[in-house]
Amino acid sequence: MLVLTRKLGESIAIDDHIKIVVVQIKGKQVRLGIKAPKETKIHREEVYQAIQDQNTEASQSDLQSLSELSAELKKK
Amino acid sequence: MKINTTRFGELEVDKKDVIVFKEGLLGFESLKKFFIVDPGDQTLILWFQSAEDPATAFPIIEPKIFKPEYIVKLLPAELASLELGSINDASVYTILTIPKVVTDMSANLKAPIVINNKTKLARQIVLQDSKLEVRCKMYKELKMYIVNYSSDDSTRTKSSKPSVASMPDLEEQQTPAIQSTDAQANKEV
Repeated sequence: MLVLTRKLGESIAIDDHIKIVVVQIKGKQVRLGIKAPKETKIHREEVYQAIQDQNTEASQSDLQSLSELSAELKKK
Repeated sequence: MKINTTRFGELEVDKKDVIVFKEGLLGFESLKKFFIVDPGDQTLILWFQSAEDPATAFPIIEPKIFKPEYIVKLLPAELASLELGSINDASVYTILTIPKVVTDMSANLKAPIVINNKTKLARQIVLQDSKLEVRCKMYKELKMYIVNYSSDDSTRTKSSKPSVASMPDLEEQQTPAIQSTDAQANKEV
């Protein structure tokens, strides 16, 4: 991993079109500004983790819970 | 070809019904081939069964059933990665989580599964819209739909979508007689 040191207001350029700026430093928090073309996808890493967790949980579903759900759904 | 599954026993799956995830699903990157199983329990919930791991299957549903206003907007690069000209040539499913308290079920609207109906190429795509939830509670909406429409299967087979290996009935899950409907035939209805 490449590690760079930046001060408040300084930025990093990635390729020709992506710019990341340190907007604010407050205690343990850093606010970053990101300038990128519209088609660039930017997500907090936690989003991927949440999706991965949901996938894992879903993959463990069994037919028993599904039939319980099915019975519940069909109740008038 | 015959595929062994933990939940549904041995299923006969037509090669053309196999859905290919080049990148796998998040957390399941090594599994590339899946197919859809219809348990036939009239809840409109289907299963994404791995063709490579008998134990891995995800309950899925078409989001438009419980959320008609849900629209998947893909970036040009995403459409291209699926060899799609338009999202209209794709089927969209969301993965369901069904906890112990079944009424707390949720659907992943943030990262739907998009399948090219023609080539069967598929991806789980993380949408940029920050309002979309990974665990969107939707039991009430689904129940309302099922009670209102008494889940007539005809509403499902009319749309052009990947064909499914259908199970005759949950109770008969040991029966290996699996019918695979033809995608082309469905399209012409």
